[in-house]
Amino acid sequence: MKIDHYDWSGGTEAMLRFGPDTGPVVIAVLPLFEEANRTRAFMVSILRALAERGIASILPDLPGTGESQTPLESMTILRMQGAYDDLVSVTDREGRRAYGIGIRSGALLDALGLLSGRWHFAPQNGEDLLRELTRIKQSELGLAKPLGDLWYLDGLRSDDAANSRVRIAGNLISADLLSELAVKKPIDASAPRRVVRLMSDPKPADIKCEAAPLWRRSEPENDIVLAERLADDIAGWIAICEG
Amino acid sequence: MTVRATLRDILGVSQERVDTFRSETPLFGALPELDSMAVAGLLTELEERLGILIEDDEVDGEMLETFGALVRFATAKAIG
Repeated sequence: MKIDHYDWSGGTEAMLRFGPDTGPVVIAVLPLFEEANRTRAFMVSILRALAERGIASILPDLPGTGESQTPLESMTILRMQGAYDDLVSVTDREGRRAYGIGIRSGALLDALGLLSGRWHFAPQNGEDLLRELTRIKQSELGLAKPLGDLWYLDGLRSDDAANSRVRIAGNLISADLLSELAVKKPIDASAPRRVVRLMSDPKPADIKCEAAPLWRRSEPENDIVLAERLADDIAGWIAICEG
Repeated sequence: MTVRATLRDILGVSQERVDTFRSETPLFGALPELDSMAVAGLLTELEERLGILIEDDEVDGEMLETFGALVRFATAKAIG
């Protein structure tokens, strides 16, 4: 594993690189906000397991996430998607095909990248994430102050629309980003897409795994057995895509 | 079944511990793991697993008071 950097329109961000210097590259994206902390160790386990199977990968700090110096409140989904696209350009310049893998709301962020395929684990729609954020905000405020549908736009003046932000569970998030979440879904484009979900999730998937949702735990945990199983699935799927 | 398994996964407690939950077992206020953030996760996870939508005005202290109350609420929502 080594630390590297990539440029995007707003500056430079760090990325971890795993695996060989040749061949296809997996670009991994963690979920947004709190779930990123709960799944980081798990994602690193998947990427290490992929490296053992001869597949390279990148785990970036997208701007506004991880150790990034860019304030989260300055980011929108579209800007994060743009930074992801800039990251894909890195592998393009190396002459290597890129495959996106995303956990939960991370699956919302790879839409603009020119990828050879997308592999999504328990992908979450923006609308569902927004409902959960609203619920957390509601619990912070107490039930006496019910939030309306577009609560994050409340009190917004036309002259500060671009600067409006709200604090949810310690994160300052722009109203623009929350507005985008209401309509964002993981892209289902012409490139191959594979969806993996937990057995407890009734939504359709290519395969389902019996495991607990690590992103729900208040303390970060890992699941090495599941990470190895998912790495097998990703490696097999990439081999088919590479044909 | 679903409510018990969801509580196990959200709270990070053992299967043996949730197996001891009875209808009258107190939840919110009695389980230190079940803070307000965990409640938000619990409700969203129940929505995902049961394919239901829980409106904010349906959420009150009563439905989270005991294991039995939460099961009754989730069952009623799932049946529709």
